[in-house]
Amino acid sequence: MLLDEPYRWAETVANRREYLEDQLRGGSPAIGIPYDDGVLLLTFGRGGRKLFEVYDRVAFAAMGHPADIERLRIAAVDMAHVDGFTNSVADVSLQRLVNFGIAPLVKNAFDEVFRAPYIIRVLMAEIGPAGGARFYTVDCDGTFESAERCGAVAGTEKAAGVMRAYLEAARTEAGGLKEALDVALRAWALGRKVGRAEEEGQEVPESPQVEDREVGEILREEMRTRDAEAAVLARSRLSKSKFRALTGEEVRAAVSKYL
Amino acid sequence: MPHDGDFFGLLKESGYRLGADVAPGGSLPEGFRPTEGTTILAVNYDRGVLIAGDRRATAGNAVIHDRADKVLGIDDHSVLAISGSPAIAYEIARVLEHTFQYYRRSQLQELSLEGKLRRVSRLIRENLPMTLQGIGAVIPIFAVYDLSDGPEGKGKIFFYDALGAQFECADFATTGSGSPAIRGALYYQNRWSGRPLASMGLEESVGLVLRLLETAAEYDTATGGTDRRAAIFPTVKTISREGIRDVPAEEIARVYGEQVER
Repeated sequence: MLLDEPYRWAETVANRREYLEDQLRGGSPAIGIPYDDGVLLLTFGRGGRKLFEVYDRVAFAAMGHPADIERLRIAAVDMAHVDGFTNSVADVSLQRLVNFGIAPLVKNAFDEVFRAPYIIRVLMAEIGPAGGARFYTVDCDGTFESAERCGAVAGTEKAAGVMRAYLEAARTEAGGLKEALDVALRAWALGRKVGRAEEEGQEVPESPQVEDREVGEILREEMRTRDAEAAVLARSRLSKSKFRALTGEEVRAAVSKYL
Repeated sequence: MPHDGDFFGLLKESGYRLGADVAPGGSLPEGFRPTEGTTILAVNYDRGVLIAGDRRATAGNAVIHDRADKVLGIDDHSVLAISGSPAIAYEIARVLEHTFQYYRRSQLQELSLEGKLRRVSRLIRENLPMTLQGIGAVIPIFAVYDLSDGPEGKGKIFFYDALGAQFECADFATTGSGSPAIRGALYYQNRWSGRPLASMGLEESVGLVLRLLETAAEYDTATGGTDRRAAIFPTVKTISREGIRDVPAEEIARVYGEQVER
């Protein structure tokens, strides 16, 4: 049986990983960056929503299988609310949601070779009550990472890395929402550029860039089948819940610069 | 695992119980005096609904607390004012708050007004065993601004009885031990004073509500009046199209000085 043959087990895990990477390869990246009033999340999707509110100051974005995205986001919402009720709103933190909730869920599904894994890469963001932001990414095998400057998930590790480098260099935390939207759009286009190069088996330059004209080409091409979606966690919102989905006009205004 | 946005169901799955585990058919121990006592009221004014409550919590003849907050914001456009057992009432308010948010976040659409009203009703009914024991009864007023009413909307006031039945009130509602003393005054004011409640501006409405709470405090020992020296004023909140606003203590103090103390 599988358990009696460790080599078979290692091979099975390698196959799972390869399968998941294959499934996620062409997916639309999701980006999170800070700006002066909080954090911005951006992605492109085919019709369904991909950016969600989890709790007062916590948001969820993902790429992958829609049903898996749905399951994990419900799990995050459930956990956050039971926790916030049992303790208090201030006790709900992204660190705990990921460490003790989402990551174990995904890891368990990945480990159990007779269960289907989650075909997903998760990006979550949180704003602190007095300032500051935090991003977490959770990969399909349960690995998770945390960062303060930005968060990005993409179809390939290379694309995600390139996007992160671009976003970190952009230093959006002191700027306004419009600037952050622009940076996020460029980063998304860059991620797709790298992703497509990899899909087609082309060489990817050491530190790829993307010019305005290229951004326009990529966006025009992608927007034939995908819609842009953006949301913020904005500290200045009067409501206790800081999540706000950006309106169609706001998103169109940002994209139209390149079209 | 409920995927219907039912937060209370989710809580119960993790072992939560609203009331304490009171033995069936048991009676209260000798000398046990549960905390109670209140006057709360809600009135329409020209921009929406104004809700106020006194600050006193009593157990029998002992005053337990003089700064209890009985007017609780639930979400951006709804407020729960509580009378009866504060322990259960605060718990109900907390569950409600999470219920509305949980529904919106998991189901990706806001719970309708009817849905919210039913949740309040259900929680009060859930508390039935305690209520029948004679402790822990909660009788709230639920005030909302229904955004689907459009710009002509005026805000709605709902009153619940101890078993969870829900009644919509026109213009005003008041409950609690001090409410009989002022219910007649509210009706009289609204009907014959020439200044119907829904036509009053904010300051006039706050002034009226402060006077009524003073009246209730005059005739009910379990209702606290205004403590000028310690600057303890009733809690007053308003709900309008723009959302919930806490009327700040300075503003209440000023209106009190102009309209009540003179």
